[in-house]
Amino acid sequence: MSGNSSTFRPASYREASARTLRDTPEVRDSVGSATRTFDALRTKAYAEVDSDRWRDWAQDVKAHALTHLDEYLEQAEQSLVANGAHVHWASSADDVHRLLEAIVVEHEVRTVVKAKSMLSEELEVNAHLDTLGVRSVETDLGEYIIQLLGEPPSHIVGPAIHRSLEDCRALFHEELGTPMDADPDELAAAARAALRGDFLAADLGISGGNFVAADTGTIALIENEGNIRLTTSVPRIHVALVGIEKIVPRFEDLAGFLQLTARAATGQPIGLFVSLIQGPRRADEVDGPEEVHVVFVDNGRTALYEDDTAWEALRCVRCGACLNICPVYRQTGGHAYGWTYSGPIGAIIAPGLLGLDRALPLPHASSLCGACVDVCPVRIPIPELLVHWRERTVEEGRNSVGERLAMRSYAELAERPSAFSTAGEALRWTPWRAVGKALPVLSGWMQEREAPTPSPKSFRDLWREGIE
Amino acid sequence: MNVSLFVTCLGDQFFADACADAVRLLRHVGAEVSFPLAQTCCGQPAYNSGHRDEALRMMKHTVDVFEDADYVVLPSGSCACMMRTLYPELAGSSPEDDPTAAETMRNATRELAARTYELSQFLATVVGVQHLGNGLDGQRVAYHHGCHALRELGVSSEPVALLRGAGARVMEWSADQECCGFGGTFSAKLPEVSAAMADHKLDTLPEVDVVTSADGGCLLQLSGRALRRSSDVPFRHLASLLWQGVTGTAESEGRT
Amino acid sequence: MSAREQILASIRAARERRAQVDHPGRFGAWRPEPAPSPLHGFETMFTQAGGEVVHVSSSAQRDTWLREFLSGFDELSLGVGVPAEVAGLGPTPVPHGSEHTAPAGVAVARAAVAETGSLMMDARDGRRAQLLPPILVVLVDATTVHATLADALGAVRADLPAAIGLHSGPSKSADIGQVMVKGVHGPGRVIAVVAQAGLGAYRHASERPSERE
Ligand code: SF4
Repeated sequence: MSGNSSTFRPASYREASARTLRDTPEVRDSVGSATRTFDALRTKAYAEVDSDRWRDWAQDVKAHALTHLDEYLEQAEQSLVANGAHVHWASSADDVHRLLEAIVVEHEVRTVVKAKSMLSEELEVNAHLDTLGVRSVETDLGEYIIQLLGEPPSHIVGPAIHRSLEDCRALFHEELGTPMDADPDELAAAARAALRGDFLAADLGISGGNFVAADTGTIALIENEGNIRLTTSVPRIHVALVGIEKIVPRFEDLAGFLQLTARAATGQPIGLFVSLIQGPRRADEVDGPEEVHVVFVDNGRTALYEDDTAWEALRCVRCGACLNICPVYRQTGGHAYGWTYSGPIGAIIAPGLLGLDRALPLPHASSLCGACVDVCPVRIPIPELLVHWRERTVEEGRNSVGERLAMRSYAELAERPSAFSTAGEALRWTPWRAVGKALPVLSGWMQEREAPTPSPKSFRDLWREGIE
Repeated sequence: MNVSLFVTCLGDQFFADACADAVRLLRHVGAEVSFPLAQTCCGQPAYNSGHRDEALRMMKHTVDVFEDADYVVLPSGSCACMMRTLYPELAGSSPEDDPTAAETMRNATRELAARTYELSQFLATVVGVQHLGNGLDGQRVAYHHGCHALRELGVSSEPVALLRGAGARVMEWSADQECCGFGGTFSAKLPEVSAAMADHKLDTLPEVDVVTSADGGCLLQLSGRALRRSSDVPFRHLASLLWQGVTGTAESEGRT
Repeated sequence: MSAREQILASIRAARERRAQVDHPGRFGAWRPEPAPSPLHGFETMFTQAGGEVVHVSSSAQRDTWLREFLSGFDELSLGVGVPAEVAGLGPTPVPHGSEHTAPAGVAVARAAVAETGSLMMDARDGRRAQLLPPILVVLVDATTVHATLADALGAVRADLPAAIGLHSGPSKSADIGQVMVKGVHGPGRVIAVVAQAGLGAYRHASERPSERE
């Protein structure tokens, strides 16, 4: 299981989501408009191709890779080593921290440039580098914004989508001295200028990895700004942190995944910059890092893999399409979820990566509307996995005693029709407005809505009386 | 044509009039309607909240109740989905001690699934009606697509076509396919987010005379939230609206 | 047990319970519309993403365009693969390692992809020269434009450098309040100068789609 020390707090999801809605209603506006835009772009981009066939293909490649994962990991390792890269394996965040520490000490690293990596967020790498006295600079514009704000990302693709242009103006005015009415181009130019210096000064670049092709040992990275290409090209050393599930068998498979991921994430035909990295700079090359380290990270992934239902979540390519279409995510953005991965995908991998006890109540943070499964590029049956974790919650006795008793009596009643209708009758005559607030289930309902008015007569009675 | 009506627990207590309108509609198109009194709950609340054993018990009960029905019709997309798509899955993945009994249950759920329909789906695809009457002439209607009817059953054009066929103007609504935030126990477990979801629906609602849906749960959620916000737009179950399409008058008043 | 062994052991144990799935084969780029000619497809996709395309049909035409365009800058960064006769058309090149000081650069694409509107940039041409100048001119040989990305990857896989970049337009971001801005880190303006057949065999001629068929 994950060994991270961790500031992650999914347990406070209800309070955090309520707080977001109450105290920062503008977050709902920003997140709502950004996600609806992303989703509309995805819809259009899916329609331009035979997206069903693409998704079937991608699902099968990933399923194939996962059912041969040990072989492909070993093959990827061999390929990378043959290319001159160093390959490391890490079971936990602590393992990764130790490894980075060794590299930082050996090479006297002072500044690290970082290319947006959700795995690095999951491993809380920046905080650890900080304790080593190493300055780490997020270079993706969205990540840069939230790093300056001291916030975690609120979306796996657009980390700052909860922030408005006004927020950025104020922030950049404070941090970079841009005018309060600067337009987005001026703001971006200021960030570019500040970060250019960091790129040139940094000794180490840390990236994630979207895919690893086992046969060529290629780390594939998708982006739009060019900062990932810079992070992996300019500093002397490059460390790529890669989840063990990121493997695809063949170099040519990248053709499908690079395109499908971009279409699912932002509706683009491909990310504007794609890096295909085999290893360190070669003799016939004028630049590029002298050392490349690839770290295969577990941190709870094998726990997911061992679960006969939830392992399907490992097909995820982190496109964020399920977040963009999720009506629950759209209300609050990602911070309420209390850890790195939010929305539907966050809710189904949290129990594997953090352990079910720490992940609750995230599997319940869904109305099971099913919109996510319709857009997922690798067809992960997200609602089924949510129900799976809810079942595990019940099996392990982690839900409330009240709920268990209530469900059991309800099922017993449902097997006895006359008792069931008597109970229904009683239910209809209950003065909800008066007592609802005192009942656990109904208080939740009544807090936000008016109590429903029961029919004057049940249908059963109408039927007995005869329907004209 | 023999139709067994499954009104669902919510329908029995909160949408009795709409269920009666469903009976009228079915008779109007020539069906012989029966109402097996032993029916209770399809088990979806238990299934969705992870109480698989309880869901299985309710499933078995329901399978018994509707064993002999030619057609089972529900004025609820969500419960129809439970029976059509989730029963076979539940039965298939729950090995029993007795393999023969398990196999029997699997077959029974598959057969039941094939005979089960949401009301508008039944009217449009089995009966094949397109035009019920003109009783909704000129009414501006907003149709909320319940998630399970829309995504699991693939029912989306049927109810809209029936409403239009009865003269209604089904208005464009950007959020008509977005979840209302009901989600059964979700609405009570996470009421703040659930209400925000309903708010998005209500905020985007066009100017209409009535809001309707094939799902009572969604209507309770939306109308309950609308009332809290002091909105006076009426919400009515699809069955009632369609029956009004036939008769030209509302048998039952809009309930909010 | 080392982390490596732990990870592999738990995968092997659980894998026993998984039904094996076969690899579905090569990605087919399935689309409802048949693809236009590679060159036309590349131009459409690349310009849609904000890139610019200039066609030249003779070396004189190419040189005229470059001379004219580059005259607006006092310094230039150059990719290693830029032919000497082209390098001489512009201002003084900066030495390798100082690409960040150049206001513009010229680099060479190893290949291009119609399906995605991408330029395939090989590390041997110099990674800084491909990334640091805010304006980048990329020389493309029209005969190296592949119809699909799978074709292009298949063509280069036998000879992979340390890194390949697929550049499909200027650098962009919508991270600031969801407003699109150009030129965030990589070049904000990218101009593909596409030379007609027989003219600009800049590199890797053996990988041309026409010659492999
Ligand atoms: S679960 Fe599917 S839709 Fe969601 S991020 Fe992963 S791949 Fe994308």
